[in-house]
Amino acid sequence: MFKRLFSFKVPQNLLFLLNLLSLSLVILYNKSFDRLSIGVAVGLPLIIYISNLLLLKVSSGDHYLLLIVSMMMSLGILMIYRINPELGFKQVIWYMVGIITFYATYFIVKRITLWEKGMGLYIGLSFLLFLSTLIFGKTINGSTNWIKISGYSFQPSEIIKILFVFFLASYFVNRDKFENKYILSVIVYAHIGFLFIQRDLGSAMLFYMVFLVIFYVYENDRKFILLNLFSASLMAMLGYFAFSHVQVRVETWLNPWEDISGKGYQITQSLFAIAEGGFLGSGIGNGYPTFIPEVQTDFIFSAICEEMGVLTGIAVIMLFLILIYRGIKIALEQRNQFFRIVALGITATLGFQAFIILGGVTKLIPLTGVTLPFLSYGGSSLIMSFASLGVLQVASEYIYVEQEEDYEHGTEEDN
Amino acid sequence: MNTEQKRIIRVLFLLSIMFISLIVYLTYFQIFQAEKVKTSSYNKRPLGNEYVLRGSIYDRNETVLSYSTKADDQKQIRHYEYDNLYSHIIGYYDERYGTSGLEKSFNSTLTQSNIIDDVRNVFFEILDAFKVNEDKIPIKKESEGNSLILTIDHDLQKYSRKQLGNKKGSVVAINPQTGDILTMVNSPDFNPNNLRDSWENISTSENKPLINRSTEGLYTPGSIYKLITTTGALETPGVTTKFNCEGKINIGGYPLTDHRAHGEVDLSEALQESCNISFGQIGAQLGEEGLKDISQKFMFNTNIPFDINTKQSKFPTDGMDKAELGATGIGQGELLVTPLNMALMTSAIANNGRMMTPNLVQKVINTNGTVLKKSEPKVLSTVTTPEIANNITEMMTEVVNSGTGTNAQIKGIKVAGKTGTAQNPGEDHAWFVAFAPADNPRIAIAVLLENSGGTGGSNAAPLARNIMIEALNKYK
Repeated sequence: MFKRLFSFKVPQNLLFLLNLLSLSLVILYNKSFDRLSIGVAVGLPLIIYISNLLLLKVSSGDHYLLLIVSMMMSLGILMIYRINPELGFKQVIWYMVGIITFYATYFIVKRITLWEKGMGLYIGLSFLLFLSTLIFGKTINGSTNWIKISGYSFQPSEIIKILFVFFLASYFVNRDKFENKYILSVIVYAHIGFLFIQRDLGSAMLFYMVFLVIFYVYENDRKFILLNLFSASLMAMLGYFAFSHVQVRVETWLNPWEDISGKGYQITQSLFAIAEGGFLGSGIGNGYPTFIPEVQTDFIFSAICEEMGVLTGIAVIMLFLILIYRGIKIALEQRNQFFRIVALGITATLGFQAFIILGGVTKLIPLTGVTLPFLSYGGSSLIMSFASLGVLQVASEYIYVEQEEDYEHGTEEDN
Repeated sequence: MNTEQKRIIRVLFLLSIMFISLIVYLTYFQIFQAEKVKTSSYNKRPLGNEYVLRGSIYDRNETVLSYSTKADDQKQIRHYEYDNLYSHIIGYYDERYGTSGLEKSFNSTLTQSNIIDDVRNVFFEILDAFKVNEDKIPIKKESEGNSLILTIDHDLQKYSRKQLGNKKGSVVAINPQTGDILTMVNSPDFNPNNLRDSWENISTSENKPLINRSTEGLYTPGSIYKLITTTGALETPGVTTKFNCEGKINIGGYPLTDHRAHGEVDLSEALQESCNISFGQIGAQLGEEGLKDISQKFMFNTNIPFDINTKQSKFPTDGMDKAELGATGIGQGELLVTPLNMALMTSAIANNGRMMTPNLVQKVINTNGTVLKKSEPKVLSTVTTPEIANNITEMMTEVVNSGTGTNAQIKGIKVAGKTGTAQNPGEDHAWFVAFAPADNPRIAIAVLLENSGGTGGSNAAPLARNIMIEALNKYK
C-alpha cells in the first residue's frame, strides 16, 4: 500500500507530479502567492486523488475514463489559473461540483432501471427547455442560448445534449413498438431548428452529427440515411445563402486576414498564439494568451498551444482520442442495448464537440462557439460533461439484460 | 462481429481520422505557415519578455554599443550609442518594425533573465504574503537580460566606416587565426535610433540601406576568384599552368581578353598580372566538377554558420559548357559571392589552408558578469594543404609587390593580396582581398566597392591598406 502510494507506475501519482510541477511553475511566473494559489494548489490534486481512488472502490467498470478527464482538467485549470487566478480558483470549485455530479449521476442512473421507457419525457423536457430559452433567454456573444436564474447563468442546450442522446437511445430500443422514422426526423430537425433560431450554429452542427452517427448505426432503411444527408447539405446551402451570419462564419474562415480588426479578429489572434508558441511553447507565464478574446472558454486550446506548445496541444488531442476509444469500446462491449446506444451517443457528443472547437480555433473548419469539454472555463458545460461521463461510467459496467439473445443476433436483417 | 459492431467501429474510424487530421494540420501549420503568420502587424506580442530589461551589447574592449532603459510608464527604450555604425551588425529592435541583426538572432538571449533572480522574486512575494518581510529588505522585482560581448573592435569599425565614406560597398576584416570578425561595415546604412521617422525612406530606397551587404549581398567576384582557381590548379595534378598570353583567346566560342599581351607566364606571373587568358584555360582544364569541388571547399553553395543571417555564395550547378568554364575560371559567369565569404576565403589561405568559423559574438555574460557562453576558434573547412596555401601566399605577395595590387603596399610589412574588377550589368565592382603580415597574418580583409567603375587595384586596394595599417598598429 505504501509503495503503491509513491510509485510512478500508478497513473494518479504521475498526474499528481504533473500538477505539482506545473502549478509551482505558474505560481513562479505569475509572481503571485495568495489564498487563491493555495486553494488551487491544494484543491486540484486533492480532488483528482480522492475522485480516482473512490472510483476504484465504487465502480467495477472502466477506471481510465475519469483518469483521462482528470488530466484534461489539470491542463485546463492550469491554463485558466494562469490567465486569471480568480477564474482558476472558481474552476476548481466547479470541478468539485462536477465530481459530485459525476458520482450523483452514476448512482442515480445505476439505481433506476426504467431509462429506456422515458422517451416522451425526454422530448417534453427538451422542448420545454428550448421554449424557456426562447422566452427568458439572454444573448451572450451573439447567441441567445443562456438562461439567468438568480445570478447564475447556464446554457440549457448543455442539458438537452444528454436528453437528446437518451431520446435517440430509447427510440431505437423501443422501435418494435412505435417505429416511425418520419416522426423521428421531425423531432430531430425541430431540435436543430431551435438551436438555429438561437444562432447557436456549433450546437446545431453537433446535434446533427450525433444524430447521424446513431442513425447510421441503427436505422434499417439505409436509403433514408442518404436522403437525410442529402437534405442536410441542401439545408446547409440554403442556410448559407439565406442567413448573413452563416455567410460571415464561412468568409472569416476562408480569409480571416481580410477583416483582421473586425470579424476575423478572434481567429487571427488565436492563430498568432499558436504560431508564437511553436512546438515547445513560450513557457507558462511567458506568452500573451489574453490577447485572444474569450480565451478561457472557447479559445483555451490556443492558450495551451502558445504557452505549453503545439506538442502539448497534440497531447490534448490524443487525450480526446483515447477517451473516444474507451467510449467506443464500452459501446461495443455493453450488452444492454439502451446503454450501448447511450455510450455511443455520449462518446460521439464529446468527440464531435471537441473536434468542432479544436478545428475552429485552428482554422481547419469554420469557427463556431462551443466549449472544449473538460478544458474550457464554465460551470454548466463542465457539470453536464461530468454528468455524461457518469452515464458513460455506468455503461462501462455489466448491466442486467432481459433479452440477451437480442444482441447476439443483432440486426442481421439489414445485411 | 455483428453489423452493429462493424458500424460502431466505422464510427470510431471516422472520429480517429478527424482527430488525426487535426494533428497533421497543426503540425503542417507550425512548420509551413507559423513564421509568416507571426509577422503580421496585428500580432501585438512584444518582441521578447517585457518584464526583463533587454541586455546590453559591447565591443571586444567592452565599449557599450547598445543598451536599454525603462521609461516612467515601464516601457523599454533601446539606445544605439553610435547611430548608423552598427546598423547591420546589431540591427534594430522596434515594437513596430520588429528586429534584425543580432537583436533578432540573439533575441531570447538578450531577454533571458537569471533564474536565480526569478526564484528570489517569488520568495520575497511569499514573504510579503505572510507579512514576514515588513519593509526590511527592499524587493527588486526587476530582472535584466544577458549581455553580449562582440569580437568587433570599435575603433577599427569607426575607422573602416570613415574609409568607406559615401561609396556603396562593404568591408569585412577577420582575424584569420581565430575567425573573429574585427570589423564589418556597409554603406549605405541607417540609424536604428529613429526608425519611425526614416522607415518610409529606408525601406523603399533604391540603394537598399537595410541590407547587410557583407553577409546578404551577392556580387560577381571577378578576379579575386582566381585565388580559388589557383588553389584548384595546384591541388589537381596534371593541370598545365604555363601559357603564352597573346592578349586574346577564344574558349568554346567565348572570347577572353587582357589589357595587354603578357607573353610567356607561369602561374605566379599569371596571378600577379591577373591574366584572364591563363585562368580561363585553367578553368576549362579543371572542368565543372573540379571547379565546383574546390569552390564548395571554400563554402560556396553552403550556409556559413554565423551569428547573424547570411546568404549562400552561388556556384552554378546546372551544367556548364566550355565557354562558361572559361568565364567561371576568371570569376565571371554566373558566380555570386558575399563579401563575408571572400574575407573567409582570404583568411583560409592566410591560416595555412584552414578556414575558421567566423565569430561575431565572443561571449554571453549575465548581469553578474559571469560568462555563460564563450565562442572558441573552430575549423570550418580545410580548403587545401599548408604547402599549397604558403605557395599561394607567395604569389599574393608578388601581386602587391609588383603586380596589380601595388596600392596596398605597407612600409616594412609584407602584404599578400589580390585585386578584382568584376563585370556585371552595371558599372564594374572593385574588389580587393588581402592579409598582413604575410608570414604571420593577424588580419585578413575583403573590400568591395559596388559599381565603383574603377579597378580593384586603384579603388579598393588603398582602402584595404589604410584599414590594415590601423589594425596592425593596434595589434602589434
